[in-house]
Amino acid sequence: MKADGLLAVLDRWGRATLPGAVLLFFVLLTLAPLRAPYLSDALPLLPALVVFQFSLATPERLPGPLLLAMGILLDLLLGGPGAPVGVSALGFVLIRAAVVANRRYLVGVPFLFQWFGFCLLALGFVILVWGFTALWTWTAIDPVPALIQYVVVVVIYPLIAPWLARVRARDPLNVPEPSRGTARPGETTS
Amino acid sequence: MAIRDEFEVAAGQVRQAVQRFALGLLVIAAFGAMLVGKADTVLVEHARVLALDLASPVLEAIARPVAVANRTIADLKEFASLREENARLREENARLLAWQTAARRLENENEGLRGLANFREGPEASFITARIVGDSVSAYVRGALLNVGRKVGVASGQAVVTGEGLAGRIAEVGDNSSRVLFVTDVNSRLPVLIERTRERAILAGDNSSQLRLTLLQSLQGVQRGDRIITSGHGGSFPVGIPVGEVVETSEGHVRVRPFADFSRLEFVRVVDYGVTGLVGGSQGTPSTPSGVAGQRVR
Repeated sequence: MKADGLLAVLDRWGRATLPGAVLLFFVLLTLAPLRAPYLSDALPLLPALVVFQFSLATPERLPGPLLLAMGILLDLLLGGPGAPVGVSALGFVLIRAAVVANRRYLVGVPFLFQWFGFCLLALGFVILVWGFTALWTWTAIDPVPALIQYVVVVVIYPLIAPWLARVRARDPLNVPEPSRGTARPGETTS
Repeated sequence: MAIRDEFEVAAGQVRQAVQRFALGLLVIAAFGAMLVGKADTVLVEHARVLALDLASPVLEAIARPVAVANRTIADLKEFASLREENARLREENARLLAWQTAARRLENENEGLRGLANFREGPEASFITARIVGDSVSAYVRGALLNVGRKVGVASGQAVVTGEGLAGRIAEVGDNSSRVLFVTDVNSRLPVLIERTRERAILAGDNSSQLRLTLLQSLQGVQRGDRIITSGHGGSFPVGIPVGEVVETSEGHVRVRPFADFSRLEFVRVVDYGVTGLVGGSQGTPSTPSGVAGQRVR
């Protein structure tokens, strides 16, 4: 690496903070009164989508503690009385761990595989949140709205995921391990 | 050199171990947060309020353009049906004018009768108008965030109304923000009256778009189309705010459709009734139907 100019530093910082910033944006967007039918149903699951998509590309820029903080923030902002605070954090951390452990099957594969992977993990996430919320408030919560949420987010995944995927287009960490050479996180290939 | 290599190997192993433990630690931390939230509800309440106060300026910035866009779309839709709408409104206006005359006459009569009976009315309600800056609507919660808080006099438990009727109550209050829990939320329980029969009941939400009427003395009296109003029992709610109308009566359960249209809320009013919490039990509690009829419903 050459001596860093201001632009290079900004570039590096931008790259390092972008996934976190995008995640924060989607956490806040969860509360935005969009009122679009169906789409607003899926808003609370979009942060999970962001976590999944960025964990595919750059898990090191979404460190566990950040996910924990974002998940807790989401629960605090969204939660009703008695709802568990931290269940989204648990879900985010588990999504990231699952993606990282299964990168072989998820990175560099046709889009359909990624979509399928997201379907599975999002289902796990929805069941986790639903289960804990029901357990914590000790009420029988109707699972249908949660399932509708799930179906909507699975359907809009192909619309949003490519946008998030653009973020990592020139990242050397996207190439397979052997050809990565000495590249470090945040470094560009050109 | 060999020592250095060994050191690097050891360091790598340590790093790997930490990384392996990291997941465990994070999971434990998440569970810890959930347990703390269960054990110390006051702390979580404070954290929620803090998060709300921090997020509300950002949300307000997002909410305004969204509201403008939504309004533009609604305007465009309305242009198409302007003529019919006009005719309908004219007709409705004529009908309402007749009602206004009736209401004026009744109000005068009421005042006279009250003077005769030496009746003491409950405290006058004042309103705080608020903009909805965030929806907290998910599969588990039905609510919204408002841009007003403790500084302008909002307090937990106050009623939140729209032009059509009751929307919900204030659940959490920050300095400059607060959270409304809609009547449709699964945690909402509201003491109500059936307007026609003056029968008391509890109106419960279940996160769907309709409400459930429970704890009725007799189910037979309820008919489709009956209006449900707040009963004012339990303190800070004024009496007689319209809540909804009965749309379905089958064995065992009565469904109520709320008057407030939660999908189009933009501004709401927080009702400051003067009494908060359980203090005002003796004030404003209607013991006879005449006590209720005199309350202002607006």
